[in-house]
Amino acid sequence: MHKIERIAIAGVPNSGKTTLFNSLTGARQKVGNWPGVTVEKIEGSFPLKNTRVELVDLPGTYNLSPDTPDQQVAEQVITSGEYDLIINVVDATNLTRNLYLTMDLKERTNQIVVLLNMLDVAEKEGIKVDMDRLSQDLGLPVIPVVAVDKGSVRNAVEQIEQTLDHLPPHDSHVSTQAVMDTVKKYSHIDDIYSRVAREVKDRSTNFTNRVDNIVMNRFAAIPIFMASMFITFWFAIGLGSVFIDFFDIIGGLVFVDIPAALLEAVGSPEWLIVMMAGGIGVGCQTVATFVPVVFFMFLALAILEDLGYMARVGVVADRFMRKIGLPGSAFIPMVVGFGCTVPAVMAARTLSNKRDRFMTIFMAPFMSCGARLPVYALFCAALFGAYSGLAVFLIYLTGLFMAILTGYFLKNTLFKGTPSNFVLDLPLYHVPRLGAVIKNGWLRLRSFIKRAGIIVVTAVFVLSVLNSIGYENGEFSFGNEDSKSSILAYAGKAIGPVFKPMGISEDNWPASVALFTGLFAKEAIVGTINALYAANDMSVNSEAAATEEAGGLDVGGAITEAFTTVGEGLAGIISSLDLIGIGLISEDQSTISEEIGADTSVYQHIAANFTVFSAFAYLLFVLMYFPCLAVIGAARQEMGGYYAAVMAVYSTLLAWSVATFFYQVAEGHNLFYIFLSLAVLTAIYGWLHILGKKEQSDMPVVAPPPVIKNCT
Amino acid sequence: MNSQVNLSEIRRDKTYEVQGFTSESSVYAEKLYKMGFVKGTPVELAPVSISDPIVVQIRGSRIALRKKEAQEILVKEL
Repeated sequence: MHKIERIAIAGVPNSGKTTLFNSLTGARQKVGNWPGVTVEKIEGSFPLKNTRVELVDLPGTYNLSPDTPDQQVAEQVITSGEYDLIINVVDATNLTRNLYLTMDLKERTNQIVVLLNMLDVAEKEGIKVDMDRLSQDLGLPVIPVVAVDKGSVRNAVEQIEQTLDHLPPHDSHVSTQAVMDTVKKYSHIDDIYSRVAREVKDRSTNFTNRVDNIVMNRFAAIPIFMASMFITFWFAIGLGSVFIDFFDIIGGLVFVDIPAALLEAVGSPEWLIVMMAGGIGVGCQTVATFVPVVFFMFLALAILEDLGYMARVGVVADRFMRKIGLPGSAFIPMVVGFGCTVPAVMAARTLSNKRDRFMTIFMAPFMSCGARLPVYALFCAALFGAYSGLAVFLIYLTGLFMAILTGYFLKNTLFKGTPSNFVLDLPLYHVPRLGAVIKNGWLRLRSFIKRAGIIVVTAVFVLSVLNSIGYENGEFSFGNEDSKSSILAYAGKAIGPVFKPMGISEDNWPASVALFTGLFAKEAIVGTINALYAANDMSVNSEAAATEEAGGLDVGGAITEAFTTVGEGLAGIISSLDLIGIGLISEDQSTISEEIGADTSVYQHIAANFTVFSAFAYLLFVLMYFPCLAVIGAARQEMGGYYAAVMAVYSTLLAWSVATFFYQVAEGHNLFYIFLSLAVLTAIYGWLHILGKKEQSDMPVVAPPPVIKNCT
Repeated sequence: MNSQVNLSEIRRDKTYEVQGFTSESSVYAEKLYKMGFVKGTPVELAPVSISDPIVVQIRGSRIALRKKEAQEILVKEL
C-alpha cells in the first residue's frame, strides 16, 4: 500500500502546471523561497484518498541539468526523494520538448504520474495523441487533464488515486532508466512521438501564428509594443496610484491615529505612543501605501504572462535592450520604474537569468519615479522659472544615462561572466483567466508585505523614533518631528560637511536633514524642507508649520476623505494622459504649493539657501541616492540582503560623486573636489570589481574535481 | 546535395534540417541541444516579418533567437 504525503508538480514553463496547482489547491497557498536561493516556492495542499497531502509547485524547467538556479532546485528536490510522488504535467501541444523533461525525471525516480494537459488545444491544432500507447512507451501512468477545468481536474485526481497502487514499490525511488545523452534521448522521444502522435493539420496558419504575424510584423511590432507598454504602465501605475492616498489615509488611521488615541486613552507614557504609533504604526502605513501599485503591477504582469504577450515583449524589445546588455523582457521593469521603483524591482523577477535580473534591479532606481517629482517641482518653482522643463528633462536624462552607466559598470565588475544567450520560447496565446490572475497578484502581494514589510517597518521605526526624540537644554523630549532639535536634525547637521562639495553649505542643514526623511519616500523631502525652513530663524513666518498638525482623531472624516481620493484619482486617470504627473512642473508657484503641500514662503528660503547650480546638484543627488526603504525591502526580497546593501551603498556613492562633479564644474571650480569626485567614481568601480572577484571565487565551479597534491 | 548554411540565413517557405553547431561545446549549443536542436530535426522560419531576433519553428514550438547568435547553428536545406 502506497502512502503519499508529499507531492511535487514538475513541468516545463507554460505547460499549465501552475494552473493545475491552482485548481488542485484552491485558496490555500503559501509563497516563499526555496532554502538558500531566491527561487520562488509555492506550496499548498489538496485531498487525496481522504487525507490532505502537501503539494509543491517546482520551478518550470525544460530539463534537470543544473545550469540555472531553477533547474538546480528542481533537480535537488527530485533526487532527494523528499516527495513521495512527482506529477509531471505534459503539454500535449508540444510533446517532444515536454517529454525531454519526462526523460530527465525518469532518470532520477520511478515515482512519476504523467498528466497530459491541453489535449483539447492539441486537438484544435490538429494533433491526435494515443494515450495508451504513450503510457506503454513511457512506462508511466498517463492521465488526461484540462488544467483550467475544475471537473476535469477532479476526474484526474480520482484516476491518480486508482493509479497509486500500480506504481512501483515506494521505498525504492531509484530509477530504472538508463542515463542517455541528449541526442539519444531525443531520438528515443522522436521514436515515441512517431508512434503516439499524428499531425492531421498544418499548424502554420493556427491562431497563434496569425497573431504573431501581426504582433511581430516588421512595421506593426513597435507601435503595438508601445501601445501595450503604455497600457501596462497605465494599469500598474495609473490605476495603482489612484488607491495610494486611500491606503495612506486608511493606513494612517488604522496603524497610527487609532492606536495612538487608544494608547493615550489608557494613559500610556509618551515614549510608548511614539514607539508604537509613530514608529511601528508609521512603518505599517508606509508598507500600506505600496500595496496598490505592487498589486496592480503583479496583475499587469500576470495578464501579460497569461496572454502569452510577455515573451513577445522580450523579442520586440531585444533589439535595443541588448545594446545595454539586457534582454528585451527587462524593458518592462524599466518602464514601470518611471512610476514607482518598488513594483519595478519586483517586475524583474520575470527575467529567468540571475545576472540579468540583478542588473535590472540595480538599474531600475535610476528611472526617476513619481515620488521624486514633487521635489523637482519644489526646486523648479523656486529657482528654475522658465527653465523648469529643461531642468527636469535633464534630470530624467541623467537618470537614464546613469542606468546605462550602471549596467556598464556591473557588466564588467560585479556580474562579470558570459552574458546570457537569447533563447526565448514563444508560448501559444490564450485568454487570461481572471481568477488565476487575481490570485497570482494577491499571493505575490502577500509575500511582498511579509518579506519586504519587515525591513521597511524596522527601518521606518528607527528613523521615526530618531525624528521624534529631541534633545534641547539638556533634556530629552518627544514629538520633535521635522524640528531642529530632533536627533535626526542633529545627525543631519553632523553629516552636513559631506554635502558641502555639492554646494550645500553647513548653514543649509535642513537640506541634509531632509535627505534622511527622504529614505521613507523621496517626496518626504518636501515636507521636511518645508517644516524646517519655516520653523527656523531663516524663516519669515514660523507659525505655518506649527498649526498644521493640530486637531484630534476624526475617523469618519478620514474615511470619507480616503474614498474621495479614489474618486478624484479615477476621474484624473481617465481625463488625463499625464500618468507620471509631469504637468506639475509647468504650474505656477502657488498651484505647486497646494499640490505638494508646501508653504509659499518656502520658495524664498530655497532661493536664499541654494544657487541654481547647487539646487540642480541637490536634485541630482535626490535622483540617485539610496532608493527609498521600500525599494531596499523589495530588493532584499528579490536578491537577498547582501546585494540590496551593495545597491544602497553603490547608488549613494554614485549620487555623491555625480552631484559633486556637476556642482564643482559648474560653479564651485574647486579642483580638489573635482578630482575627489572622480576618485570616488573610480573607487566605486574598483570596489565593485573586488566584490565581483570575491563573488566568482566563492562560486562553486562545476569543473574537474580538485587534484590531490602529492606530498613530496 | 545541399550545402550547409547558418540558421541566421534561412529563408521563408523552405524547410531545413539541423546539422550541428560551429562550436559543439559552447554553453549556447548545450542549451539549444537540450531544447531539441539535435541533428536531423526539421526547422523553419515562423511566419513573422521582424528579422532580428529571428523566430524559428522547431518541434512544434516557436523559438526566438538573435540573428548573430543563430550563426552558431548549422542547418541544411531539405
